[in-house]
Amino acid sequence: MASISTKHTQDEFDICIIGSGAGGGPVAYELSKAGFQVAVLEKGGWYDEQDFKKDEMLSRRKIFRSKIQNEPHILESPKTDGTWSSNTTGQFWGGNIVGGASNFMSGYFHRLKPEDFRLLSEFGPIQKANIADWPIGYEDLEPYYTKVEQEIGISGKVVPHPNLEPRSTADFPFPPTAEHPIATRFDKAAKALGLHPFPMARAILSRPNDGRAACEYSGYCGSYGCHSGAKGSSRAALLDKCVNTGRCKIFTHAKAYKINTDNKGNAISVDYYDNGPNSHQAPSRIKAKIIVVACYSMESSRLLLSSPGQKHADGIGNRYQQIGKNLHCCAGGTGHGIFDLSKLNSSDAAALKIRGPFFNRALQDWYFIDDKEKFGGRIKGGTIDFVFDPPSPTSAANKLKRDQDGKLVWGSAFKHRLKSHFTQSRDFKFEVFCDWLPTDECHVSLDSSKQDQWGSPVAKIKVGYHPHDLKVAKYIVDKGVAVMKQMGAHSYYGNAFTSPTANLMAGGLRFGKHAHSSALDADCRVHGTDNLFVTDGSFMPNGGSVTPTWTIYANAFRIADKIKMQLGSPHKS
Amino acid sequence: MLASITACKPVILQRATAIQQNPGTSANIPENLVLSTAQRTLIDAVQMQLFPKDGNGPDAQDLNALAYLEGALQDPANIEDGDPAFIVKGCSWLNDMAQRSFASDFTSLTVIQQDRVLNSIASTRAGENWISLLMYYLTEALMLDPVYGGNIEQKGWRWLEHQPGFPRPTTGKTYLDFT
Ligand SMILES: Cc1cc2nc3c(=O)[nH]c(=O)nc-3n(C[C@H](O)[C@H](O)[C@H](O)COP(=O)(O)OP(=O)(O)OC[C@H]3O[C@@H](n4cnc5c(N)ncnc54)[C@H](O)[C@@H]3O)c2cc1C
Ligand code: SF4
Repeated sequence: MASISTKHTQDEFDICIIGSGAGGGPVAYELSKAGFQVAVLEKGGWYDEQDFKKDEMLSRRKIFRSKIQNEPHILESPKTDGTWSSNTTGQFWGGNIVGGASNFMSGYFHRLKPEDFRLLSEFGPIQKANIADWPIGYEDLEPYYTKVEQEIGISGKVVPHPNLEPRSTADFPFPPTAEHPIATRFDKAAKALGLHPFPMARAILSRPNDGRAACEYSGYCGSYGCHSGAKGSSRAALLDKCVNTGRCKIFTHAKAYKINTDNKGNAISVDYYDNGPNSHQAPSRIKAKIIVVACYSMESSRLLLSSPGQKHADGIGNRYQQIGKNLHCCAGGTGHGIFDLSKLNSSDAAALKIRGPFFNRALQDWYFIDDKEKFGGRIKGGTIDFVFDPPSPTSAANKLKRDQDGKLVWGSAFKHRLKSHFTQSRDFKFEVFCDWLPTDECHVSLDSSKQDQWGSPVAKIKVGYHPHDLKVAKYIVDKGVAVMKQMGAHSYYGNAFTSPTANLMAGGLRFGKHAHSSALDADCRVHGTDNLFVTDGSFMPNGGSVTPTWTIYANAFRIADKIKMQLGSPHKS
Repeated sequence: MLASITACKPVILQRATAIQQNPGTSANIPENLVLSTAQRTLIDAVQMQLFPKDGNGPDAQDLNALAYLEGALQDPANIEDGDPAFIVKGCSWLNDMAQRSFASDFTSLTVIQQDRVLNSIASTRAGENWISLLMYYLTEALMLDPVYGGNIEQKGWRWLEHQPGFPRPTTGKTYLDFT
């Protein structure tokens, strides 16, 4: 893009953060609170509680998300015959407004375990997997996990179980959210099987806090924006307050496309398109002392790869070809227990029909698996979350128009299927999470043929999985199915998957001690720079066997402290 | 949480192919299509076959399914998918089939004859796609918020004991206001 037409922002910023989601919010919050001048570039608009209606059409039409027509990704997946398929997709856009995907998450929150930080030394190498120990330990992150409980607002209850991670506080600052009657049935079943059920923590306020209302149990949570402010999105929990400091400016509709570096290799400015209503996509430039990238895994890698400079011929920090490598998803699977309400007594049936409160249960009895017969020794396992799928009644009704053989059913037969599905059965779900081992077959690069609406190469995402992941996932899925059976479900099944979990991607810019095997240093600074940081989930060498966002938030708070130290006191900066 | 797939129109590719195979279809139809009276009568009859008055909950007319469909066919995203053109095209297939089988227009047939004609066209790929697309819009008329014109008086929700979320979309805050 011709630099002559580039518009320069006049303001001087200490720090410029690209992306306003879970990775960007904590840095903006901490730095603006500490007195620094903060700019946040967010390619989406600002929407809030007034806009978030429980309207299935919002997700059917991908409102609040980038569109495949304007900003596609290329997805390369393994086929059963050993070749790779290549498709254009929009599935990786989980939320592209102020607050990012954290507006739409369910907020099922888990910490990692100390062993996740040293997977290689704890469990040894696995052939063709690029497993690495983290350059920090659990104890370095623990204070920040605790901080997230308070600042984002995590509700829960500590129930001791064999794999409970160490905590510096006795319990959560907010009591658990209201529970659905299924939780009691679940606890009974799990205990009968000798398991250790525990309530899942949620990034949802169970009582009002700091200007945010408590959860109102709308029954429509994950995938839907929150109308009460209870959900711990980066926007509701952090960015609203940043703006109130008067020191944080959020540039909406600002799409960063290049980070400029100087002859020492340090970041000096960010080029972005100003897509505001009257700006006609004007190329613009913003300068800051520190630049932070938090665009959501593959997009953060893409931005670094798209930013070559004098000292960074192949993209920033890419001297050893580490940028975009070791991307990971969550391996695992899903399962269902379906209750036929006509077979239950009326009070049990009525209880299962309730919509509003949460299931909120998890099992970590197989976080480590010691099954010599199956695996030859102790291995890393995973977590089972027991959840409700967000309701999408129109999609559910549409699916029922086809019978088991895929044949269309209409007329009274179709109406009968609808009536029985909606009124006579309840489907409870579990989700299994285990490590998606990093390999050479899972990474991000720039696509040479496809460009986004601004003419920049799009990200090509290759998502090969390691066969070990599938073995572990199947093992745990079977355990989940056994629990559903014990609960008295009338039909139950589960499946492991190998497809990418588009909303739960991490890695690509892993941190480590050595520049030749990682993209970032222990403080999440891009190797070869002094002042360019990455604070989304890209830093993670492995995802742990849980959803990642608590760890993303915690690490972003940790890096905010490092950046504050580097900048010194605000008035000197 | 694993993001679930928000299932949408299942047959877009085949439908596009069918249109390509019948050149002149999409090109001849204005983008802001309004169905002709004959087409409206025909689709109304088909919808009543797909979602009949049978004593089990509302029928297509109770849900205002035809008016809902006409509204949905003005939605730019649905126009871009080629839906208006495809739906109009299907009306002629259906009438051709009715003429061939019973020497009469679809709307003049008995309920049993109409069902036979629908079954005949469902045995072709394009015909099957056409019925499937009409059912897709019927399920929208059944389960979407009444603000979109279907599900009158929440008849669909009440029949299926569906509890909507809150706050519900309102005029001025529908998905069309965010596109
Ligand atoms: C439906 C759903 C359910 C989920 N449920 C859970 C859950 O239960 N538990 C859990 O732990 N996690 C969950 N997640 C995942 C969670 O939302 C993400 O882990 C988290 O939001 C990631 O934070 P991030 O900062 O990396 O990305 P995001 O929060 O997505 O933020 C990135 C932001 O950067 C912006 N951006 C990107 N590129 C640019 C650019 N070039 N210029 C300017 N701005 C840019 C984007 O528009 C976006 O707003 C869920 C996600 C979804 C979508
Ligand atoms: S269920 Fe609670 S947290 Fe979820 S969207 Fe509704 S009010 Fe917000």
